[in-house]
Amino acid sequence: MADRTEAAALVALLRSGRHSWSEYAAHVEEAGSAVAVFERERSAGPAQLFGDDGATSELDQIATEIDAWEAEGMRLQTVLDPGYPDNLRGVHDRPPFVFLAGALAPADARAIAVVGSRVASQHGVDAARAIAEHLVDCGYTVVSGLAAGIDHAAHTAALARGGRTLAVIGTGLRRSYPPQHADLQRRIASEGAVISQFWPDAPPSRRSFPMRNGVMSGLSLATVVVEASLTSGSRIQARLALEHGRPVFLLESVLEHEWARECAARPGARVIGSPDEITTIVERLTAPGALVA
Amino acid sequence: MPTVAELTDLYGNFMLGPHPGPGVCEVCFTFTESHARCFICAQQNSSLDAVAPISYSIASGQLHHALAGYKRLGGEVARRLQVELAAVLWRFLVGHEACVARAAGTSAFDLVTTVPSGSRARDEDHPLRRIVSELARPTRTRYERLLTRSDVTVQDRTFDARKYDVVRALGGESVLLIDDTWTTGSGAQSAAAALRQAGAGPVAAVVIGRHVKRDWRENERRLRALAQPFDWSSCAWHGC
Repeated sequence: MADRTEAAALVALLRSGRHSWSEYAAHVEEAGSAVAVFERERSAGPAQLFGDDGATSELDQIATEIDAWEAEGMRLQTVLDPGYPDNLRGVHDRPPFVFLAGALAPADARAIAVVGSRVASQHGVDAARAIAEHLVDCGYTVVSGLAAGIDHAAHTAALARGGRTLAVIGTGLRRSYPPQHADLQRRIASEGAVISQFWPDAPPSRRSFPMRNGVMSGLSLATVVVEASLTSGSRIQARLALEHGRPVFLLESVLEHEWARECAARPGARVIGSPDEITTIVERLTAPGALVA
Repeated sequence: MPTVAELTDLYGNFMLGPHPGPGVCEVCFTFTESHARCFICAQQNSSLDAVAPISYSIASGQLHHALAGYKRLGGEVARRLQVELAAVLWRFLVGHEACVARAAGTSAFDLVTTVPSGSRARDEDHPLRRIVSELARPTRTRYERLLTRSDVTVQDRTFDARKYDVVRALGGESVLLIDDTWTTGSGAQSAAAALRQAGAGPVAAVVIGRHVKRDWRENERRLRALAQPFDWSSCAWHGC
């Protein structure tokens, strides 16, 4: 299978560590082939000493690993695969691959991220639920980060409403963080999809959570910040979403934080009073057809 | 329908507008140490009466990704990028076409055309033409496909007027050339030289992104000093 050889070549490149992951994402996309980039690097480097057979058996071995991952329910999708999420392709810091548990649906192109604090108030939880329900009613997929608090409320409300939800996690797919959300992670994988930009065994880390906020923003047409603290990942996601050119919606309660007031002043950020403001604006921004002055 | 203002406001979070001044190339607005022109623009006389980059495009940044992705990615994501980039061009020209025309020594541009792709195959169906001839209102009524990639073999990224064929003789019309990115300027400069040989009057170029590397010399510091968010009321030639 040619695609699997391509995926194997990308894995080999990333493991070589010769360039950063974002550089490899760009190189591979530009060349339209990871095998081509792989061969170019091997013919230029000292690995040439091992001969072509060494490279072929390395790719074969990785292809076997990819099969084993797939058998375990973890599907590798590289930037070259048609199954790589379309919205995510549009952002500059897209990861070179994602692992998927479950399946993306074409309807997931209409995705909106709902994020907020892990330590949420009842008011915040209620607001997150109401927004997730409204998004489901309007045919949107609810994206969140499987964390406690607002994320949990958004995922569970979307599922309860019979809608689609995607969880973007800060660990590899073999892990769950927080551990008590392992059941929810399994449920989302069976009804929607769980997405990870990390190797299957990757543990949670200080760097991995902000990175997954970038993927959450990239997957989504917009980001909604429901309730946030001073140090929350939501703050990072709001900044990244604006850097991606995607709109950010802030609930009024978030404005108690100075960062949120600064964010609200940026073009493309809006403070909203009700969930339908989100869908009205996103509908208009993504509508097909001619531009108007 | 998406409005031009709404779409372009979003781009304002990562666009950075160039301004003339010491340490900025007087032709292409890239950063120089102190010279009036960058190394590449100093090699020959400019065939363009004015170059107006709408924004710097930082290598691997979001604008750079959009400027590559609108022609490479395909599908809905490419379609959306095309609409967004058309909105950027639209808003810029509504506000600043007069500034660019003045800098080029004319009052308005009679014709608008695009710089063809360096490769003939890619030029067959180029999304930049869709942006300029269909999506962006300020350009579509004046658009004419004046240039095609010739079959002369020239090195990539070198200035050579033979690179492009002009499809008809011109009688002194002023021409606004549009391109997505200025890296060395060889495309826009070669196109302008070909248009002049065919009889064009003043020729100016508006490019969406002036490609720059963040880690090159003092660029990081220079880029940091630019206004954020992007100021749509100003341009490289504003008030000149």
